[in-house]
Amino acid sequence: MELHLDTALYMATAIFCVGVYGVLSRQNIIVLLMSLELMLNAVNVALIVLGRAFLPTASSAAVANTPQVFVVIVLAVAAAEAAVGLSILLAVYRRWRTTNVAEINLLKG
Amino acid sequence: MDAFVFYIAGVVALIASGIVVTRKNPVYSAIFLVLFFTMVSIQFLVLRAPFLAVIQLLVYAGAIMVLFLFVLMLLNLTPEERREQVSRSRKIAALLGSVALFVLLAGAIAKSPTVREAASLTAPVPTGEAGLAVAGETRELAVSLFTVHVLPFEFTSFLILIAIVGAIYLTKSRGSTTTARRDRGAAQADTLPSPPEVVLEGEK
Repeated sequence: MELHLDTALYMATAIFCVGVYGVLSRQNIIVLLMSLELMLNAVNVALIVLGRAFLPTASSAAVANTPQVFVVIVLAVAAAEAAVGLSILLAVYRRWRTTNVAEINLLKG
Repeated sequence: MDAFVFYIAGVVALIASGIVVTRKNPVYSAIFLVLFFTMVSIQFLVLRAPFLAVIQLLVYAGAIMVLFLFVLMLLNLTPEERREQVSRSRKIAALLGSVALFVLLAGAIAKSPTVREAASLTAPVPTGEAGLAVAGETRELAVSLFTVHVLPFEFTSFLILIAIVGAIYLTKSRGSTTTARRDRGAAQADTLPSPPEVVLEGEK
């Protein structure tokens, strides 16, 4: 069985679009943050897939490792985003007793 | 074999992600998100990224999911509180939008000459030249991270520092702004007897 670059990229794109659907169709902040994690992971998969596909033609090991370094940084950003997002959610819940984004519609309150 | 494992993991990941975005109860979403992260980690293993596969499990399936589940436990939402009023037409619009995005991106992938000319993902890696055979292994990744890419790495550490400070600042309860705290304080004042006056030694 052969694994081609385009098939793997279609898979990553499909997962990204499922994340987009989650962000567009849900109102619960927790599920929105989970959908964001889905999208970040889809991008990670795409990066690793591209890195693997061009590995045989890379000029050096440092070039071949660049996609994985990208993924490490995306991971760190995702962790920071989850921490800040969930603490915003906690602050909002304490103030308004809701996790529904449709009910959180004031900039100042 | 590698390709087979990649396909199976990809299909399971896709199904799990679909379940994540459609469940009403966020706890089920969180559980299926763990399954999704595990499948992505298997894909990383197949694609010669063993270090990232382990990090994926530790950071995502471990730390971030614990954070999500901890917040879910802390909020303890009732079915009324987590009810969403998403109209059917809005769901259909979201579905159409994401499908349109998929068609656009897939079209771009299908048209790209770079993608078409790329080698198979299971192609053997040339050994002996430029150390490509060990690319992606922990040692090589560390060398890349701390030599060529050290500046973005340091910026990332600064970003995490900002995130820590921000998370602490946001979750710190600030007295009168939190209604829950005020209510609880009022309830306590009603039920509890007034505390006896404490006179410290050496105080007038």
